[in-house]
Amino acid sequence: MKNVYIGEILRNEEIAQDCFLMRVALHVSFIDPRPGQFVMLRVSGLAEPLLSRPFSVCSFERQNRSCSLDLFYHVIGRGTQILAGLLKGTQVEILGPLGRGFEVAGHKKNIVLLGGGMGMAPLIYLAMQLNKDACSSSSAMYFYLGAQNAEAVIGLEQLKKLSFTIFTCTDDGSMGEKGLVTQIFLKDLKKFVPGETMIYACGPKPMLSALAKILQKTKYPCQVSLEERMACGIGACLGCAVAVKRSKKSSLAYKRVCADGPVFDINEIVWK
Amino acid sequence: MAETKSISMSVKIGTLKLKNPVMTASGTFGYGGEYADYVDLNKLGAIVVKGLSLKPRAGNPPPRIMETPSGMLNAVGLQNIGVHTFIEEKLPILRKYDTNVIANIYGETYDEYKKVAQKLTSAKGVHALEVNISCPNVRKGGLSFGADPKSAAAVTRKVKEVTGLPVIVKLTPNVTDITAIAAAVEKAGADAISLINTLTGMSVDIFTRRPHLKNVTGGLSGPAIKPVALRMVWQVLQKISIPVIGIGGIMNAEDALEFLILGAKAVQIGTANFINPQATIEIIAGIERYMELNGIKNISKLIGTFRS
Repeated sequence: MKNVYIGEILRNEEIAQDCFLMRVALHVSFIDPRPGQFVMLRVSGLAEPLLSRPFSVCSFERQNRSCSLDLFYHVIGRGTQILAGLLKGTQVEILGPLGRGFEVAGHKKNIVLLGGGMGMAPLIYLAMQLNKDACSSSSAMYFYLGAQNAEAVIGLEQLKKLSFTIFTCTDDGSMGEKGLVTQIFLKDLKKFVPGETMIYACGPKPMLSALAKILQKTKYPCQVSLEERMACGIGACLGCAVAVKRSKKSSLAYKRVCADGPVFDINEIVWK
Repeated sequence: MAETKSISMSVKIGTLKLKNPVMTASGTFGYGGEYADYVDLNKLGAIVVKGLSLKPRAGNPPPRIMETPSGMLNAVGLQNIGVHTFIEEKLPILRKYDTNVIANIYGETYDEYKKVAQKLTSAKGVHALEVNISCPNVRKGGLSFGADPKSAAAVTRKVKEVTGLPVIVKLTPNVTDITAIAAAVEKAGADAISLINTLTGMSVDIFTRRPHLKNVTGGLSGPAIKPVALRMVWQVLQKISIPVIGIGGIMNAEDALEFLILGAKAVQIGTANFINPQATIEIIAGIERYMELNGIKNISKLIGTFRS
């Protein structure tokens, strides 16, 4: 039987403009998350926020007698404002790891990751796994990292320790190239052969939607990690619906980001 | 403790016997299997499954949920796999468990209610029907039936005509006088009443100046609605004599006990399942502990002991 874990906050600090990193210590029995999986987090004993919030696993480390989980979050509403005020030592309830993660394709010749804003969180964990993966030592790995401005760039330090070729871009040009991450990637697209490439992406909806458009008539495989408001995280509340293209078998047009995702084939999603 | 064993929590809703008064509320527990990793389903009084319609329903476009003070709004729009797939794929899984399966049903016409009820009655493993006449999310649907005593009674009669299973009618709080609906449904032959469904509400995003939910309005659930639910259960209990099942913002055993003391024969746990997947089990244990501490050996000695 699975349980709700009680974790203890080890760190909770602003690492970029309105972006926080929370490190939570967990019991050693917590299962190693796969890249792309997420957890539901709630502050023990607080009436508000009432619902748990979903967070992608950004990093996971296992020590002898405990393990720790790193999560990124952007302070955006009441719930995350409350989270930002939590002190070291505060207890949180963690449910997870949840969802289907990325399919790690270490054997592909080219591995391309595209991250925008908070979408960096699951990609950093994926990048660390790909880096560890022996198969991928023969792969060329590229990371396209986008943010609004230099202050909002997250994850760059971690990435620099890994064997990725990194392209940075910002909306205002304050770091790296000026422009959108999808535009920068588009310029390089022809360097990659579709059959030898795997693309992973996570970021704001407009970014993923733009990427879908770029890849629409190509044969590049691409896995995207989506975000949606959710209440339960385990497939029951049906709150986190995402519109998918209808398959012949079923007439249902929505899937659950939590249980059917959060990682989807980019072509499966209806982008508006 | 040896004495623990002698505590009886079993209750009867018409002919339906429950090992304890704790059920899951429809729409918050999927089709049961979603929670099997977290909850020993055998320990539940009953599982009320997600509302079933004749044909599968895609549901509403997102965003579908929003947290509000001490509660949440949802506008899922009755997304479900349809009664046929439920019987083929979900019921065989549920049959393995030693608990009652209550199928929540929903239709857009009297005929649809009848057909869904018929199909579930002839399927093996359904122990009761809960008739949703109250879902506020689909414009053409439940609301019109549940908001008027005549149509509420008519739905009840139609379903009773085609089934021998106990029929529970789930009432909407979005009415002027819920006791009038309850009385009409009782007269029409309902075996029990469950209340309350969600309260219609809304929430505005001040930055985009749009509604937080794509559907604009949604159903409010969670601790915010508990006092309203208690008031309505109390009012209805004074008007009817069939069993009442209390629903609305029950987060822990104390909340459940409030409803039982008022006179509800059983309770349903909804939003709490989202926050803590083991809420039902903890509530059952908490009620048992309360009985132990207060020397109550049989739950029937607790139900309806409210002193006004």
